[in-house]
Amino acid sequence: MNANREERIASFVVAAFSLAYFVGAFLIPVPTLKQQMGPGFFPKGIGVGMLILSGIYVLQQLRGGVKEDEERAVIIGADEKIQGKVNLKRIGFILLLMAFYAFVFERLGYAISTFVVFMVGVLYLDRRHLVRDGIIAVISSFVLYYIFTTVLRVQLPPGPLKFLGL
Amino acid sequence: MDFWYNVTLGFGVAATPFHLLLAFIGVFLGTVIGVLPGIGPMTGVALLIPLTFGMNPTSAIILMAGIYYGAMYGGSTTSILVNTPGESSSVVTCLDGYQMAKQGRAGPALAAAAIGSFIAGTFATLMLMLFGPWVAKIALRFGPPEFFSLMVAALTLVTSLAGRSLVKALLSTLFGLAIATIGIDLQSGVLRYTFGNPELMDGLEFLVVAIGLFALSEVLVNLSDTSETVQERLSIKGRVWMNKEDWRRFTPACIRGTLSGFFVGGIAGAGAAVASFVSYGIEKKASKHRDELGKGAIEGVTGPESANNAAAGGALIHLLCLGIPGSGTTAILLGALIMLGLQPGPLLFQQNPQFVWGLIASMYIGNVMLVVLNLPLVGMWVKLLDVPVYLLMLFIVLFSFLGVYTMNNSVQDLNLMVLFGVIGYLMKRVDIPATPIILGMVLGKLMEEKMRQSLVISDGSMMIFLNRPISLCLLILAVVAITNPYWKPMARGIRKMFGGTA
Repeated sequence: MNANREERIASFVVAAFSLAYFVGAFLIPVPTLKQQMGPGFFPKGIGVGMLILSGIYVLQQLRGGVKEDEERAVIIGADEKIQGKVNLKRIGFILLLMAFYAFVFERLGYAISTFVVFMVGVLYLDRRHLVRDGIIAVISSFVLYYIFTTVLRVQLPPGPLKFLGL
Repeated sequence: MDFWYNVTLGFGVAATPFHLLLAFIGVFLGTVIGVLPGIGPMTGVALLIPLTFGMNPTSAIILMAGIYYGAMYGGSTTSILVNTPGESSSVVTCLDGYQMAKQGRAGPALAAAAIGSFIAGTFATLMLMLFGPWVAKIALRFGPPEFFSLMVAALTLVTSLAGRSLVKALLSTLFGLAIATIGIDLQSGVLRYTFGNPELMDGLEFLVVAIGLFALSEVLVNLSDTSETVQERLSIKGRVWMNKEDWRRFTPACIRGTLSGFFVGGIAGAGAAVASFVSYGIEKKASKHRDELGKGAIEGVTGPESANNAAAGGALIHLLCLGIPGSGTTAILLGALIMLGLQPGPLLFQQNPQFVWGLIASMYIGNVMLVVLNLPLVGMWVKLLDVPVYLLMLFIVLFSFLGVYTMNNSVQDLNLMVLFGVIGYLMKRVDIPATPIILGMVLGKLMEEKMRQSLVISDGSMMIFLNRPISLCLLILAVVAITNPYWKPMARGIRKMFGGTA
């Protein structure tokens, strides 16, 4: 997708979010005990600011974007722009993997879910060193689980391991 | 004398075996983070915060501060040997550092960076020791309006230096402030933006947002990148230490870098990256060997490396004495301290002396550890670059989940973290900086509280922020910070209007 189109969409999304936040500020209930500045005052201020700025952002993008000072960007240490082709398939996979990890984290427990996620990740991303990566996966899942729960006494979800008394 | 009593107290706290170990672990992990490309100090500190769960605030900050300046330090190694800066404040070190390494002088370059960083870090710590209590005393006289304006100034200053576009950076700050309004309003007990979700009543966890925005988005960026970059790695040949001539050139550059870094990056709050560039600019003007800059001059390594470490140390003055972070990383440190139940600010020196002085003493110790760690082990640090990116990214995912889950044992936190990872990635794609979000989020609650207190004092009149001189000065500073990129074009426009040449 071309960069300007992406930015244009982003500016509309930001504007929509700003509007939603601003409207939300008016839905904050007024407390029974009347205060000088109620709980909605600060959010309304933020909402106004966001609306104004997102309006400028939309206008800037509709006019074809703003020329940026790259020299200044380097000096202030701004993040590098993501350029080049993006591997959408890979992004989709990683996102799915993260969502899956969150979904099974408690259900399968830390150790099993981490082992599965790590190995699936390795199999998809680079399967040239399966033995080495498999050992790393076991250490970072089962061994780490043991260290956390037994040595450091940090509670982690056991999942089915509970039945094994671990 | 109070001063010596405090110093003794500090070393008494920092020199316990446990705290020495924590300082060591901190600087070690920090160096690893600094060396690894793709993980900046902010991501690193955010990822490692869960290590401090269960610790008391003093132990926690000793560990986190170690990570912070360790990362500042570690970035220089890869700048010199691989021409890849580990973080933004080491970008300028590449110019001369890599050239020196190419000429077979990697050893002296690394030594200059390490010793310069050590001297600057020690100087900044000394300044913190001498002036910290004094700044805190002044800040104690601040009322709610002054504090509110101070926060506005800090937010705008950091925001104005946060990215290519001021509009986007400001939007990002406001987004952070908006996140801070989620949850129960402590003054009225009213729920805001919780959508009936009981887990949102306490607001969004700072760590969920920070790890999502920085760590997970970094994973997405790194794994989606299809370009294969081949790094040419230089090894250390010849002598490692600096010779007499190097020392002669090193000393003035180190002094200039330290002072400029401390004042520009630390006191003025411009950050470590700007400090390193300012220092390089000064070397270009002041150095006797200015013609050699860019071709492998030792001043080009010494100045910026001293400057970025002095700036990092100076930023801690704001954090500890005023409770205001001057950079993204210190914002994360502040968020972590608040999570641990400590609110940094002017009262800290009085109420928690062992915390402040323990931290200061640990910084001296940590700086010494860094020199010892960095020079002899440089070969090992460079080997870290051999860790395959996909494994590194999988580890980041693993630690992110582990850290965020152990905080509240909540799966919702994990889902929100992934959501913020996606938001962070999309923001990167359209070049909206994420640092201001963290700053806004960390300062948001306190800012609102101070504003409401001020308006109660003034009976609802906004003029209270303009009527009080300190508050007015701070607000003027905020306006200057925001408008300064537009001054040049405006002046050009005015000159044109009156018939001059642009």
